[in-house]
This record gives sequence, structure tokens and C-alpha cells, in this order.
Amino acid sequence: MRRPAVTPLHRRGFLRGAAAGLGTAAGLGTAAAADVADRAPLTAVPFHGKHQAAVLTPPARATVLAALDVTAADRAELADLLRTLTRRARFLTDGGMPPPAGITAPPPDSGILGPRVPGEDAVRITLSAGASLFDDRYGLAPHAPRLLRTMPAFPDDDLDPAWCHGDLALQLCADNTDTVLHALRDLTRHTRGGMQIRWRLDGFTGPPRPTGTPRNLFGFKDGIANPDVRDARLMRRLVWTDTGGSHLVVRLIRMHVEFWDRVTLAEQERMLGRSRDTGAPLDGDHETDTPRYAHDPTGEVIPLDSHIRLAAPRTPDTDGQQLLRRSYSYDRGVDAGGNLDMGLLFCCYQRDPERQFAAVQKRLAGEPLADYVTPFGGGYFFTLPGVRDGADWYGRALLEGVSGP
Amino acid sequence: MPGSGPSPRSPRASAVCGALLGAGALALALWAYGSPDRGPAPPAAPPADPLPRTAVEVSPGACGRGWSRPRPGLQAFALHNTSGTAAEVRLQDARSGAVYGETEDVAPGTTRVLRARLGKGTYAFVCLHDDADAVTGPTVRIAEGGGSGPAAVPVTSRDLIPPALDYQRRIARRLDDLVARTAALRTAVDSGDRAAARRTWLAAHLAYARMGAAYGAFGAAADAVDRTTAGLPGGVHDRHFTGFHRIEYGLWHDTDAPGLRHAAHRLAADVRTLRETWRHTRMDPADLGRRAHEILEDTERFELTGRTDYGSGTGLATARANLDGTDEALDRLRPLLRTRYPGLPALDRSLARTRHTLDRQRRGGTWPPPARLPRARRERLAADIGDALERLASVAAVCDVRRAA
Repeated sequence: MRRPAVTPLHRRGFLRGAAAGLGTAAGLGTAAAADVADRAPLTAVPFHGKHQAAVLTPPARATVLAALDVTAADRAELADLLRTLTRRARFLTDGGMPPPAGITAPPPDSGILGPRVPGEDAVRITLSAGASLFDDRYGLAPHAPRLLRTMPAFPDDDLDPAWCHGDLALQLCADNTDTVLHALRDLTRHTRGGMQIRWRLDGFTGPPRPTGTPRNLFGFKDGIANPDVRDARLMRRLVWTDTGGSHLVVRLIRMHVEFWDRVTLAEQERMLGRSRDTGAPLDGDHETDTPRYAHDPTGEVIPLDSHIRLAAPRTPDTDGQQLLRRSYSYDRGVDAGGNLDMGLLFCCYQRDPERQFAAVQKRLAGEPLADYVTPFGGGYFFTLPGVRDGADWYGRALLEGVSGP
Repeated sequence: MPGSGPSPRSPRASAVCGALLGAGALALALWAYGSPDRGPAPPAAPPADPLPRTAVEVSPGACGRGWSRPRPGLQAFALHNTSGTAAEVRLQDARSGAVYGETEDVAPGTTRVLRARLGKGTYAFVCLHDDADAVTGPTVRIAEGGGSGPAAVPVTSRDLIPPALDYQRRIARRLDDLVARTAALRTAVDSGDRAAARRTWLAAHLAYARMGAAYGAFGAAADAVDRTTAGLPGGVHDRHFTGFHRIEYGLWHDTDAPGLRHAAHRLAADVRTLRETWRHTRMDPADLGRRAHEILEDTERFELTGRTDYGSGTGLATARANLDGTDEALDRLRPLLRTRYPGLPALDRSLARTRHTLDRQRRGGTWPPPARLPRARRERLAADIGDALERLASVAAVCDVRRAA
């Protein structure tokens, strides 16, 4: 056995002594209040509203996450950029016929969704801003969201600067890959001069295998325990800021699947704290069962250092740390050593990234799972409040409230 | 920029596209009613859009028949060619002749859809059958409604011949200069003074890059002058690798001097051939608009990515020269564009900004290789060129040669 049954030392941690790393994948099965109904398909998601609606919608089959840098020369151009993004996002969300350009221009739409952009299974768009947008370029520093920081490097991270941060984060979700790529092409085409993609990772969600919560690339159901998005009060407590925004944490987490596949099932399950087959906590029968840690104070059944137990101890003092996870799997070819380059595009929303994501992340420090994953990128972003109506636009309050350079 | 391969819109590529479209239309006709010649009007295919639809006849005797109930707004016209010859169909403003939409190559017996947004005004269809005079259908009046979609008066070859001739003369003068510069390069390479040869190489290559608009019209001669190793099995050592980039490779790598001298002599000879060819070639007037657009397409694809960098790291200098080449083509088209392209002032601002951004990269007389630009500067440059390209696309669309009606 690679790992003694009850000691918290894991293989590499054991070999290296106590220098085990901190913080890794808060995404591999955390949090509280089970909600499988979370996945019930939503019908039309209206574009206008107090919040960006796609924050609460269940993970779609396909996603594009693009971090962008703003190249607008000044604040007026930044406002133009945000207005253009709003206009295009509204069209892409509602669907419709692209207006013909006649002989004056190439076709206004790529056509990959047919002559009409369908309103059914339309793309769901979320726009967020990184801390760098609030530097001195646009005079926005005094208006930075109070809790927005630049993502720090957690001790076990191996961050590649090329895959970190960004002035904006744009997430596109839909149940078909062509839908998200159509939206990506449309949005970048109309904003060519105002922003450039800094990095981009595409993700997917598999169907339930065979039922319940979809699985990640370690074979485990991922995102079983999520707060109930239908509970408006809970969302106000956990997800929304007072202005109607939210905080998005993105973590790009490579999963070393070859290594993982060379680990016994028993060890895998003890690292996660759940059964691989059913997704049930190791002390339960169903994925929706709530683990009863009080009955297992020494971790005989669900190890004290298992991922789910560290991430969500289900104690009163950690209750406010719950995250709304919206993670996807990614697959991007092969690394230089010949191993498959795949993993988790971890996304979560919360009201306060320090109180929620970072607190969970710190508690996960040194978890056995850390040896099998490498966070290499991501960022902290403030998800802008919703676009209220046809006259409103992303970030309007932010920019119009400013009287800087 | 490499001259290898046909440009996407070379006459050859268009001919192939035309043939493919023709075959597709024929297949559609066969599918619709068994044989292209049999039967009355085909059963209507299910519309690909939910727009109000008007069936309109295309024929020399009844052009535009069927449009009896005019209505404003975004709408579709199903153009059915009842004649025995293919036709081009335009929907135009009855007074100004500005075209709101066109459909090329409506084959006999087939139906094609033309979409347009029409406001208050008077309109007419024009049918241009092969080998026949244009026929204008009845004038249709829309009494009320909002704004119409974009429209422009077609550019004909008569409009384009004077600017194309002017352009051709300018290029001829530039070729005289290029002949002198490549002769100087040959001398410098022969002398063995590498530093002098590198300076002479850059001056000659930029002189070539400045006439970028002409490369498509040079055909195989340009290939020998400015090709990359694309398509050459032996790469940089392939004996067919000739021209500026072969010499660049030799001057910035320690390669055999005889090979380098040979390449310099060959380039000087090829450029003289090019000049001769140019004297006897009449540039296709339709090329002018395409070149105004495509020079920078090449810059973005080959220079900004370093694809054409064989050691000198001068891609940004080439980009700057390409921008001059774009101006040269665009300036000739300005009189035609002023009344047809409302976005022209914005295009000019965009090009000026790109020029400014490029010029700022130059430090102490030298240009950094694009790959070594700090991220923010690289993104700014990509944004500027991308923005200019989006606007230049309309120049090519508007200046496409259309039959006089």
C-alpha cells in the first residue's frame, strides 16, 4: 500500500519528509449542501437582469474560458469596448438574424450556426474583470472592487505567467462546441482593436456516467456538493456581492492521469473521500448522502486528510466558506514528456475569495491529492453586475462613476 | 511576405470556388426535382430563416416579377431563375443605383435567397444574365419603415482601370529602385563584408515589402524572390530555396559563402526578370482592392508570428514597410471609397495608429524581433493590426469588380 491507512502522510510527502505542499485542487469534490437537481436543464436564460445569469446556470457541455488584456488607449475606448461586448453578447444570447451587409462588407456572421443564430441552446456569457484592469491606465484604481486581488501563488502551484491573470475573463458556455466557438469568433471579431486574448482554455463536461453528477478525468464525480442555486438567500450570502456582482476564481489544474491510473482504487478513494463508482462519501451509499464526520472523529472511514473532508469539514465555522463550483475538464494534447496534458478548468464563484476559496485552499495544504495535480495558471476576477436593460452595458456603473484621467 | 501559393482570392482560387458552387447548385437542383430540366417550379425547401419571404422571378423578360406586396424591414427574397442562362441578381435603390444585396450565379432552374433590410424608399431588382444586357425590373416603392441596410454603388472595371494603371506605374518605378538595391546587395555579398551586406539586404527587402500590393500579380516570379521554405522538402538547404529569405538565412547564419553568393546573384537576376514581366503584364484592376486588404493579412500571419524570420529579426521593419504598401494601394482607391465606404475615416485612423505603434517599437535605428516584444506591446500591435484588417476587409468587398448594370 502506498499510503499507510491512517497516517496523513502520502507517498511523496513521506519520501520528502514533511515538506509537503500546500493548497491544490479545491475543485475535486468540495463543499456542502448536495444538489443534483442543480443540473436540471434550464430553458431560456435572459440576458438582462441584476446579475449575469450564467453564473448560476449548471455547467454546460462545452466552455471556452478566455482571459483578455484590454488594449484600448483610454477610458473612452474602454467604455466603447464594453458597450460593444454588451451589444454582441445580447445578440448572441437572444439569437436572431445577422443583419445583411450587402456588397459593403464580408458576411457579418461566421455562419457556423447556420443563417440564423439560434436562441435555443444559445451561448451563456459571463464577463469578469481582473485586478490589472484597475491599474493606472484607465483611472479605475479608486473604483476597484474592495475584495479583488491578484491571484497569489499557493505553495504547491507551479504557475506559468503566460497562463495567469488578465484584465478581463470571458466565459462562454453552451451544450455544443460550435456554439461557444461561434460566440468566441463573434466577440473577438467585433473587439479586435480593444482587447487581445492573453490565454484561453477550452473545457467540457461529460454526461452523467451512468447517472448523477458528471465525472472528472480522475474518474470521480466532481461538484456533487454545491450550494442550492435556487435558494436566493443562500446565493446572496455565498455568491453575490452587494452590487450584484460576484468573484470568480479560475484555476488551471493539470491532472497527472498516467500517475493517477497507477494508483490502487482504495488509495484513490481514500484521497478523495468518496467511492469512485457511486460518488457516495465513504460512509454512505449515495452521492447525495451527507458525510457524518462526527461519527468518525479519527478518520477511520473518511480519512482526515481526504479531499472532501479538508475542503468542507461541515462545521459551523466553515459554513460560510462554501463555493459555487462551475468546473470543467480540459484536454490540450500532449506534454513535452509524452504524457497526456489534461486536467481541470476549475471555476468557482463566491462573494469573498479570501474568506471562501483561499480559506478552503489553505486547508487543503498538504492533502495527499496534491501529488497528482499541478495548478499552472488561472486568476482572480470580479464578475461584473448584470446588464439591467437595453440601455445598460457591462461595467457602466464602474466607468460612469469615475472622473479620472 | 512569401509569394508561395495562390492568394486566397487569386483568380485561380475563385475559379475553383465557382466550379464547386456550381456543382453544389446542380446537386441541389437534382435533389430538389430529379433532373435540372424537368418539371415546373420546385417544391419550396424549408426556409433556413424565419424571415418574411417573397418569391421573385429571374429572367430577361420578367426580372423582379412577384414582388407585389412590398414591406419594410429585414426580409428574404427567393430568387428563382426561370431562364436558360445563369444570372447575377442585384437589389438596388431605384434612384441612386446603390446595391443592397446581390446574388451571383443563380443557375437556370435554381432558387437562391437574398436577404436585405429595406426602409422607406424605391427599389428594383436587376438581372444580369450571362452574355446579355442588364435588365431592370419594376420599381417597387416602400412607403414607410426604418432605416435600410448598408448599400453601395457597384465598382466596375471602368472605375478601377485608371487607379490600377496609376498603381502599375508606381510599382514600375519601385521596381527600378529594387533592381538597383538587389544589384547593390549582390555586390555587398561578393565583397564578403557581412555587416554591409546585412544593411544592404534589409534596405532591399524593405523596398520589396513596400510594394507588397503587387506580389499576387507577379506570380511565379515573386515566388523566387520572396518565398519561404514552405513546400520545400530540404528546408533551408533545399536548392529551390531562393530569394530574400535564402540570403537572409545565409547572412545571419554561418553558411557556405559560395551558396550565399549564388543566391544573391540569382535574386538580382530574378528581380530584373520581375521588372521585365511587370512591363508586359497588365494588372487585373480587381487586384487593387484585394491587395489593399491582403498585404496586412500577410503581415499578421507571417511577420507578427516570426514565420518569415530567417535570422534577421526584422519582421517589424517589414510590417512597417507593408503598411506603406497598404497605403499605396489604398490611396489609389480613395476616390472610389469616399462615396461608398462610410468607415473610411475610421480606417484611416486605425492605420495611423498602427503606424504610430510600429514606429514606437524602433529603438536606436533597430527593430526588436516580434517574439521579443514584451507582452503588452505585442498585444497592442496585434490589436492595431487586427483592427485595421477588420476595416480593410470592407475595402476589398466594396472594390470587388462588378458588372456595369
